[in-house]
Amino acid sequence: MEKRVREAAEAARLVGKEKTQFAEVPPVTDQITVRMKKDFRQVPLSEKKSVMEKYNRVIMDHHEKIESSDVIYRDTFRKVRYANSQGTYIEDERPDLMVRLSATARDGTNVQKGFESVGGGDGFQLTEGLEEKAKTAAQRAIDLLSAPPVTGGKYTVVLDPKLTGVFIHEAFGHLSESDFVYENDRMKEIMVLGKRFGSDILNVIDDGSLAGLRGTHKYDDEGVKTKKNYLIKDGILVGRLHSRETAAKMGEEPSGNARAIAYQHEPIVRMTNTYIDQGKTSFKDMIKDIKLGLYAVNSIGGQTAMEMFTFSAGHGYMIRDGQVAELVRDVVLTGNVFETLMNIDAIGDQIEFSKAGGGCGKGGQMPLPVGLGGPHVRARNIVVGGRQK
Amino acid sequence: MIAKKLIDQAMKKAQGAQASINQIESTDVSFENDRLKSIKSSQKTHISVKVILNDRIGSSHTTDINDLDGVVARALESAEFGSPAHFKFPSQAKGPDVKVYDRQILPLTKDTMINIGDEMISLVKKYNPEILVHAGVTKGIVQQQFANSAGQSYTTETTKFDVGLHGQLTRGRDILFSWDSLTRKNKDIDHRQIAAKTIHWFKLAEKNVSLKSGTMPVIFTPAGLSVLTLGLRMGLNGKSVLLKSSPLINKLGEKIVDERFSCTDNPLLDYASRSESYDEEGIPHQITPLIENGVVKNFLYDLDTAARAKTKTTGHGIGCGPTNFVVKTGNTSYEEMIKSTKEGLLVHSVLGLGQGNPISGEFSVNVFLGYKIENGQIAGRVKNVMLAGNTYDALKNIDCIGNQAEWVSGALLTPPIKINKLSVIAK
Ligand SMILES: [Zn+2]
Repeated sequence: MEKRVREAAEAARLVGKEKTQFAEVPPVTDQITVRMKKDFRQVPLSEKKSVMEKYNRVIMDHHEKIESSDVIYRDTFRKVRYANSQGTYIEDERPDLMVRLSATARDGTNVQKGFESVGGGDGFQLTEGLEEKAKTAAQRAIDLLSAPPVTGGKYTVVLDPKLTGVFIHEAFGHLSESDFVYENDRMKEIMVLGKRFGSDILNVIDDGSLAGLRGTHKYDDEGVKTKKNYLIKDGILVGRLHSRETAAKMGEEPSGNARAIAYQHEPIVRMTNTYIDQGKTSFKDMIKDIKLGLYAVNSIGGQTAMEMFTFSAGHGYMIRDGQVAELVRDVVLTGNVFETLMNIDAIGDQIEFSKAGGGCGKGGQMPLPVGLGGPHVRARNIVVGGRQK
Repeated sequence: MIAKKLIDQAMKKAQGAQASINQIESTDVSFENDRLKSIKSSQKTHISVKVILNDRIGSSHTTDINDLDGVVARALESAEFGSPAHFKFPSQAKGPDVKVYDRQILPLTKDTMINIGDEMISLVKKYNPEILVHAGVTKGIVQQQFANSAGQSYTTETTKFDVGLHGQLTRGRDILFSWDSLTRKNKDIDHRQIAAKTIHWFKLAEKNVSLKSGTMPVIFTPAGLSVLTLGLRMGLNGKSVLLKSSPLINKLGEKIVDERFSCTDNPLLDYASRSESYDEEGIPHQITPLIENGVVKNFLYDLDTAARAKTKTTGHGIGCGPTNFVVKTGNTSYEEMIKSTKEGLLVHSVLGLGQGNPISGEFSVNVFLGYKIENGQIAGRVKNVMLAGNTYDALKNIDCIGNQAEWVSGALLTPPIKINKLSVIAK
């Protein structure tokens, strides 16, 4: 023990010098207890297993070309106690559950996957009645066996709500995290509040206080109350995500975005529930003038390196003469975030929040549950990877 | 020995048991935005127990050295819902000699580690003070005790050293990263070389140039070659073969790529980051040829998967993944590769690898650090470029293989490879 203390003191001396500061927040005392509709802690392991076995059978029995399945159930119940020297004491219960149903189909060396997932903190009833989803996953894998890979090129792309959510999280959300900016003068110049990032129709929000989503908490992991934070309003950059440290350093308000995956990790700036707000265009109107385009659906994941992003759709459909046409596979979209945001020229009139599982990774902390959402979104001039005809 | 105690406790009920105790000590020095950010020392204990009870597998882990009864009880309990066991724990066998412990690592002082970081940062700053630099230096030691109920038992001691560097250069809205890192089990890492490589990729990117979409020759640097090896690693995984999700099923003994291409899994290279005498299931390690002159030689197996596939474990427990993945060198120099390219793409790093359907060998990635080659010379960096293709098709279409291999972060040892033709989409 003595050796450890000596090491910690030595480390503090070597790092030393600069003063760390925190934005002031009023102290609170609060106790949050959740009531799940059907508490998964009361459900015996054997029942959880048999429910998943049922979905596994649905997938395996769906078609002779289904080669294997992957059905994952995971629940966690965290009780978080937070206290700081300024008098805040919070007890918070955080249940999280997710189911992922995945099917692999095969035809010779052609191997394709279909998947569906649900998640949330509501309780075990989320796992009920997923037979249709299991079938959808299996059928998608079968359909993709005969779907051609998308032809690479530049397209007008319509994103479905799930992809919109992933896009705005990956491409823009991470740029809004102030720890990438606060000690980086060049990034500060790019992310100046008041700068135009998109056309007037674009509104981007991060909101940890929205009920029932995976990134929802009353307080963040520094005891700051979560709230609705506009990042882009009417196309203009108006806000960013902060911890108490980055807020103090940049002279801005804390936003309630300091989060840690567990007590062993320090809270760092993270998103909560990030979405593009709904607009006015119906899906039909959005595609009706597209001669040749791509409708990209469902998400496999994404990666971002500040300005550049890439993300993969589960599958896609070509849009031909204003109509949704044939199914295509291997849909990967890429671009420069600033150009792409400016190229968004239609936003759908119906917003959806994804109930999917999964999570975000940053600084070795993964997976952190986050909420994703948005309506259908149309963007011009998106580079789609793939081989050329 | 604690591992033996755990086994004895488990065997009161179980038909087989395995236990391991890892004690990990590490010191981590990290620099952010050009300055020293933190120094962390940590000590962790990781205890894991695996049992076979009524032909089912149970397992449990703990970090609490006072929870020995608890971890055994939970492992036995979880066996009730565990997957069926197809294997028996292996009997006593001594692992091969491989150097995994460097006595120079433990005495490394924090000041020395700080100096390494400082020196790398100042080298980058000397090239261009505008670049913001992150750096990390880590040293560690792992002591492991392993035992099972079939008589296998040993202790090992391994060291680890890790040096990494990452720079960001922002010009207007043009943001560029370059980085390099290496993990080894000895102190033999030249941090100046890591800085030099990081700077090299910045230098070549001083100018952005444009590229036309089309099919063209593509040279993968050792780091860039991960694009092609990912599909291979997944396809050669015995579990994917067993579950028939690998495109390589029924291809054992068949020629699937160019005969100049060979790769091996080698956990017996002295001081390499994934080298060990035994795998996680107590199996002595061995060298496994994977593809030899274009022909598939072996898949990688752990105990359970091997039993299900009616073959023997290759010492790739748990999960059937490779250790050090080694690609054989060819006879063309890197300089010659570039010089012989009239118009093409040099790929050093990509975004989005592993998304989509990687096990099929398909890739469709954004070229993050990619350079246009024009008349045998590197003309500048290209942006907004997508590269797509299939690993197996690409490796059938090799132009030449480099004559010098390089470690990529510490788990892949490979030369650069030039592919005749791949599809490139540019904005
Ligand atoms: Zn993320």
